[in-house]
Amino acid sequence: MLDKKKIILTSIVLGSIAACSGVLIGVTNLITKDRIAINEQNKINEGMKAIFEQNSVKIEELSLEEAGITGEYKYVETFYLVKDENGEELGCAIRTSGSNMYGKISLIAGFDKEDQSFISLSLITNEQTYATTLVDNYINPLNDGDRILDDVSCGATYGAKLVRDMVNEGQEAALEYFN
Amino acid sequence: MSKKKGQTKANLLKGIFVENPLFVSILGTCPALATTKSLEAAIGMGILFTIVLICSNVLVSLLRKIIPEEIKTPAYIVIIATFVTMVKMFTNAFLPELYSTLGVFISLIVVNCIVLGRAEAYASKNTVYDSFIDAVGMGIGYTLAIMLMAIFREILGTGAFSFGTIFTFIPYFKLQIIPKGYEISLFTTPVGAFIVFALILAVIAFIKNRKTELKNYRDRQEKIRKAQAAKEAALKAQQATNEGGNK
Repeated sequence: MLDKKKIILTSIVLGSIAACSGVLIGVTNLITKDRIAINEQNKINEGMKAIFEQNSVKIEELSLEEAGITGEYKYVETFYLVKDENGEELGCAIRTSGSNMYGKISLIAGFDKEDQSFISLSLITNEQTYATTLVDNYINPLNDGDRILDDVSCGATYGAKLVRDMVNEGQEAALEYFN
Repeated sequence: MSKKKGQTKANLLKGIFVENPLFVSILGTCPALATTKSLEAAIGMGILFTIVLICSNVLVSLLRKIIPEEIKTPAYIVIIATFVTMVKMFTNAFLPELYSTLGVFISLIVVNCIVLGRAEAYASKNTVYDSFIDAVGMGIGYTLAIMLMAIFREILGTGAFSFGTIFTFIPYFKLQIIPKGYEISLFTTPVGAFIVFALILAVIAFIKNRKTELKNYRDRQEKIRKAQAAKEAALKAQQATNEGGNK
């Protein structure tokens, strides 16, 4: 049986290691957080350009209330109004985030202003264990127009179902904005 | 001094060849199968893994006399998880393409048996310098092993080598090795990873067995030669005795 002194000593050692770890992670976060934010913004910009097939786009971030989206959503996070270089509205994009037992996904789904339809999506974070399978077997064919969102038949079925639900929810929110 | 140097060299080479973590100890196979689709990703994974292994080995060795026996494992896990988190943050900030490509497998370095195994089996019992050398050797060994797998998988699966997509500071270039249309895309899938891994292990086993067989054959030959020499010597001695008797 451990004596009191031993218990205190082990607690102090483990506590000190944990505290030092916390400090190290905190310092690393301070160094990297701005850079990570810039990278994510660049990713969003590149994603928008790819979705709307433009060389440059103007993005306006609106709160859900400002965009007139009042419904209750599980995955919808942010609303973007997307305009071309001349300021003409191209459509909107909805950022959704969700997770399942295989990890987290965050994506932007773009919707066309004219026919209010889903155009394509861009992944912002994909921390799924089957990340590459999901992209190769589901996202890419989906973006190429080869797959209907209701049909899930790829290797990373659970990831694909999550993406489908996120895009469907994004579409509901976009329709709320358009109408 | 030269003995110490020789020990260091042996310690370093041990991780690369004799005790290669992937091909000999069969450890860390999950990331090895998942991140070897391209050579560039494998190099990235190898570098990150080596950094975590070096840092954790050095720190565990530094604290080996302070950490009580009862809390060794949780303490090591906290140390390893800290370095993995730091590496993850730095990769996300400075190499975002590598971060996206490796995804969850950067975080999974925490549960890589090699890192915890080396901390427990080596760093907790040896000096900081020796632990550092051990980590460098093991890191290089693991990196070379996953690079070898990636070379086969990328060439057979895509027919080409491409650089500059993950390490964007390198200008992009693609080296077509197999003519287009002749690549076997199976090798870029997890099934292909298992096939390549199995083939490499089979080749290593073949070489090892061949070496053992050759050694056994030489030993047998040597024994026969010695037995024959002894027989001949005995025969000569017998003849000499007989000749002496006749005279």
